[in-house]
Order: sequence, then structure tokens, then C-alpha cells
Amino acid sequence: MTDTERAVTTLESDSIDDAVAELADDGLSGYNFAYLDEHTKREVRRAILKGIAIPGHQVPYASRPMPLARGWGTGGIQASLSLLGPDDTFKVIDQGADESVNAANIRRLADRTADVDTTSDTTNADVIQTRHRIPEEVMGDDQILVLQVPITDPLRKVDGSDAANRRRHAHKNYGRMWVHLYENVVEWGEIKISSRYPTMVAGRYLMDPSPIPRWDVPKLDDADNLFVFAAGREARIYAVPPHTEVEPLAFEDESFQVERFPDQSCDACGSDDTFLTEVETDDGRRVYSCNDTSFCAKRQDDPAIPKDHHRDASGVDWGPGTPDSEDGSTAPSGGDGQ
Amino acid sequence: MGYVAVTASEEVIERAEDLFEKQRVDGDGEQVTVSQTDEQFGRIVGQATSEGGLYAPRLAALAVKQAQGDTAEAAFLLRAYRSTLERWDESVPADPADMVASRRVSPAYKDVPGGQILGATKDYTQRLLDFDLLDDDGEDPTESWDLDPADPPELRNVVSVLREEGLLHDPDDGPDEPVDTTREPVTMPAERSAVLQELARGETGAVTALGYSSLRGYGQVHPTLGEVRTGELPVQIEHPYTGEDATVAHAEVTECEAVVPVFAKRDDPQFAFGYGLCFGRNERKAIGMSVLDAGIQLDGEEPAENAEFVLDVVDGIDSFGFIEHLKLPHYVTFQSTLDRIRSIRERKMTEGAADAAESDVAEASADD
Repeated sequence: MTDTERAVTTLESDSIDDAVAELADDGLSGYNFAYLDEHTKREVRRAILKGIAIPGHQVPYASRPMPLARGWGTGGIQASLSLLGPDDTFKVIDQGADESVNAANIRRLADRTADVDTTSDTTNADVIQTRHRIPEEVMGDDQILVLQVPITDPLRKVDGSDAANRRRHAHKNYGRMWVHLYENVVEWGEIKISSRYPTMVAGRYLMDPSPIPRWDVPKLDDADNLFVFAAGREARIYAVPPHTEVEPLAFEDESFQVERFPDQSCDACGSDDTFLTEVETDDGRRVYSCNDTSFCAKRQDDPAIPKDHHRDASGVDWGPGTPDSEDGSTAPSGGDGQ
Repeated sequence: MGYVAVTASEEVIERAEDLFEKQRVDGDGEQVTVSQTDEQFGRIVGQATSEGGLYAPRLAALAVKQAQGDTAEAAFLLRAYRSTLERWDESVPADPADMVASRRVSPAYKDVPGGQILGATKDYTQRLLDFDLLDDDGEDPTESWDLDPADPPELRNVVSVLREEGLLHDPDDGPDEPVDTTREPVTMPAERSAVLQELARGETGAVTALGYSSLRGYGQVHPTLGEVRTGELPVQIEHPYTGEDATVAHAEVTECEAVVPVFAKRDDPQFAFGYGLCFGRNERKAIGMSVLDAGIQLDGEEPAENAEFVLDVVDGIDSFGFIEHLKLPHYVTFQSTLDRIRSIRERKMTEGAADAAESDVAEASADD
């Protein structure tokens, strides 16, 4: 990096003291706006742009050590902080919940260093950082979903070597993954991959969609919003731009299936078209509840609102349980995946 | 619904931090000062500087105190702080021959130019608990020594003797400008400078274990050490006005040069060479690093000879973060996994029942 490349912050102040005061008021004192220096943020944005240009391709970038442990969302927070501007509203979810400890900690870092507004309402957020879920409410073309990624390469399941896997991606050589899926079917009668389901992007690159449940994979296809996948420890960024064809791998006679919740509905709001998680209660009952806590709260107020209630058009395709979905059924069956 | 409903307002996090802090101050004793930590727990501080990749002993001592002695955590604090610092300049490449060595042993030769300098080491102490330290009076056992304050001797590099004779293979160092893995992501095949940087920042236990794996038989490298040195290495920068090199600091380092009897070239047999250098007094890390450097140059099949494997697992900040992230909630992925196992069990049970009935259903179900 040369001196001429160094980022310049333009200040309105007349004196140096005023300028320092002006900077000091911007987020956490002693640190740049949004923690990272401008050069780093620009580099992250360049990696994101490259990822958008080559959908599903893993772009290496110089991941910085963050004041959060690696494996706890350091890639996601670098992407989020690089994308957030002072007027943006930020939402953080971890395993579907805004109030999880780790989500609160990431939100706290953004709040302290970037001084952005935060929200738990999916429809109000400009940037949403998420660990392993795509929200139930349909996202729009003015929103970005940043997914935290622990393992960047779907081929890691079949070969631990990134060097070998990079060659396979270059040659679009996904034979080993197909064999893996076939062996699954032979041994178990069906594909036993639960999350991190290998997914073909724009007919070219096989992508690890991060450990989102299979339920969320269809939402990646032909969406209005941008998806950014960021890994801190593994120093890779990739993206699915809006309106990109995204298809989970499957066989003609062994179709892709999302999670099934037969005859179950949310204990709190009654939804039977959302991703549910089960909990054993203290009195020994097993109850299911919506995993997306923010949407569940809205459904508790108004059980009838659809997932695209905030959109002009209705019947938007957004995975299982939405009207035009190819993958989920429209019937209130919780989406049996067929 | 206890775990799901863990409400995590900032207050909960702050209270957890407070409880952690309480553990440090809860005892009856006085709080250790940062100076005491720096002076009396030098090995831990050295390990934190080395794994943190920031030579700042006083900050490292602060990090060790703050982390309550957890070196991985202390190194992590240093790395996170380091990434926010502006880079003013780069030093002139340091020549380890300029090191003011306080200890130097050469296992390869009985005697070497400059002599064997045992220096401060616990290598030959008998590992008996010293109960006198329970009531430590801080007495300096070397106080009565009568020593000439002579200049430290110039120590000729032992391995240079072999190099002059043409017995040592000089590794391919790649381009002149070294890679900086803190600024560029590591991709395979990695330049040797990237390998050495990652090893030098590697976690001490990981470097030791992986190096040991080679000696233990999972690899070919079993080196003879040309020398192991510890001492103060002058750090020089180019003076902005005069252009002369000016010494601005000294860094305490441990260096190891390993000679490996694996003949690098068939037509011109030479020893392979492994190099180790790290901040602080940490001989096992420097030696382990030299074993791994030599092994990676061999590019063999064994784990310690596979650059990708070694670099993927040697970094303490990475391994510590990902191992500990397993504590985070995973109920979404687990729900997905439950769905799979239940589905497969249902299928197997249906098939089992069908088999028992000696029907043709099993064949049909394979086509589902």
C-alpha cells in the first residue's frame, strides 16, 4: 500500500482541535468510524463487488483480527461494518433470534463504533447480519443480508484441501460431490445433509450457503435482495446477487427436501408455515416454536399476516410456505418439502 | 424454554464480564501489577507477544493480566489491538547474526567459534518443587558473582560453516519482498515467507505438537540443530533525514537453525535446512518451527510436511475461536439434523418391517 492510497477523511472544521473533537464524537473514541480503517473497508467492499461479479465464487480477502473471537461472526461483522453508512439501520440475528447473546454483542459493537440505528424488525433494516437463518419475511431490493460463514467450501465435505478444491471449482469439477450424494442415497435411502446444503449458483459455482437449514435455501433463488457471505477465520467472501438462479443439488429421482414439521405449529403464534425449533419443557412436553422471533412477535399480534405483508405485490416466492414457492407447499402443512 | 429464551441484553453480557473480572480480584492477595507480570512471568508475556504478532512486552503483560494468564486470550487481545494501529514504517531487515546472544548452544558440534554459552536455562535443573519460593525473599543468586563487564563476543553463525562448504541446501525464498499474511490472505501454494510468518505467529502448543509428530514418525524430519540462540535483536529503521540505519529498539527473540539429513538434491547431495525464529524466550517453539519449516519444504504426504494442513491448524487465534464457538447456540442446525435422522430412521424401519413381511416393498422404496 502506498501513501497515495491512504484513505482521506474530509473534515468540516476550521481548527485542528475542532477536527479532533469532530472525529472523537464519531462512534467509539480512539477508533475509526465503524472500527475498521477506511482502507480495510474499501478492500472488503472490493471483495464483495468481485463476489457479486462472479456469483458463488469465493474471493480471498485480508480478514482483519476483530475484537470478537474468530468463528463468532468476525467475517460477517467486517462485511457489515464495511457496508454500513451513518444513516443505515442494522439488524443482527443469531440462530433466528435478535436477543441471543452473540447477536447482542455484535449489535453492541456496531452501535458503539458506527453509531448506527439498530432494529429487530426485518422490514426496517437496511443491513441484516445473520448467523444461519434467512428471515421469514420477504426481503427487498434495498436490503442486504450478510450471512456469517464458518466453512466456505461445500467441497470440504469430500476433500479437506482448499488447494485441491480451488482447482475443482476452476474446472467446474463437482463429480466428487455428486458421488457423495449418490453414496448417501445408496447407504441411507436419501441425502442426509442437514444444513450447509451444496447449492449451485447461476449454473456455474457450487456454493456452501452457510449452515442455514434447507428450509432457507430456496429463498436464495431469484431473490430481490443481495446476499453477502463472509468468513473471517477463512478469509473468504462470496455473494449471491439479486435475481440469480440458485439450485440445491439433487437427483431427478431424489428431490431436494426441506425440513418437515408434520402436524406442528408454533406454540406462541400458531404459525404452521415457518421454520420451527423444538424444545422440551420442564414438565416434559415437546413444543415447537417459530425460530424467527421477530416475525413470531408480529404473528402473535396478527396471526393472519403473510410473509410479504409489507410488499406491494402479494404472493412473492420466498421459500417453503409462500404461495408461489416450487419447493414448499402452499397448504398449511408446515411445508413437507415435496 | 431456558436456553432459547436466554435474553441477551447488554446488561447480561456486562454482568458476565463483571463476574469474570471478579475472579481476578476475589482472592486475599494484592493485585499483581503489570510490571510484576512483565518481569516475573516473562515466558507467558513472551508467548503472548509471539502469538499476538506484536512486540510490545508491556502491552503483552497487560494482556496477560487482563486475560488472567490465558495466553491464547492474551495473544488475541494483542492481535485485535494491533490491527487498529497505523503502520508508520518498515524496519530494515534484521540480521540474526547481530543478535546480542545471552545463550547459544550448538548441538551439532562439540565446540564452536565463540563457544557454547549455556546462559539462563532450566534445562539441567532437577524438577523439584522449590518450597523456598512459598516465602520468596527475592534474593538474586548471582549477586555475588564477580564478572568482567566485557563486550559480548561476536558469535559466528554455526550453520554458515556448513553453508560455505556447500553442504546446506538454500531454500527457495520466493520473491525479494516478503509476503505479509496479515495484509494478504494465505493461498496455496504459499511462499516460504508466508509459511515462516504463520509459524512464527503460531500457537506454541500447536507448533510443538506438529513438530513432535514429525520426530515421532509421522514425517521424515529429525534434525540436528546447528544452533539455538536467545538474545536481543537490534531493530533498525532507515533514518528519515540521513538515510543511515538507526537502531530504535531491541526485540528479545529465540532463533533455531536445523540441519536435516534428508538430501535435498540427488546429483548434488545437500542437507535440508529448517529455520525457526519467534519473539520471546521460547526455545521449544523455535525448534518446533524449524522442524516444520524443513518438513514443509519436503512437501511430503505426512501432516507435518503438508503446508496447507500445518498452516490451517497452527494459528491459535483461529483454532481457539472456532473450537470455542461450539458453545454458541446451534439449535437451528440441530433441528435440521434431527429432521434428517428421524426421516432416515422412519425409512429404515419401514424397510425393516417390509423385509420382515417378505414383500417386494423394499425394492420399490429404493426408488422413492
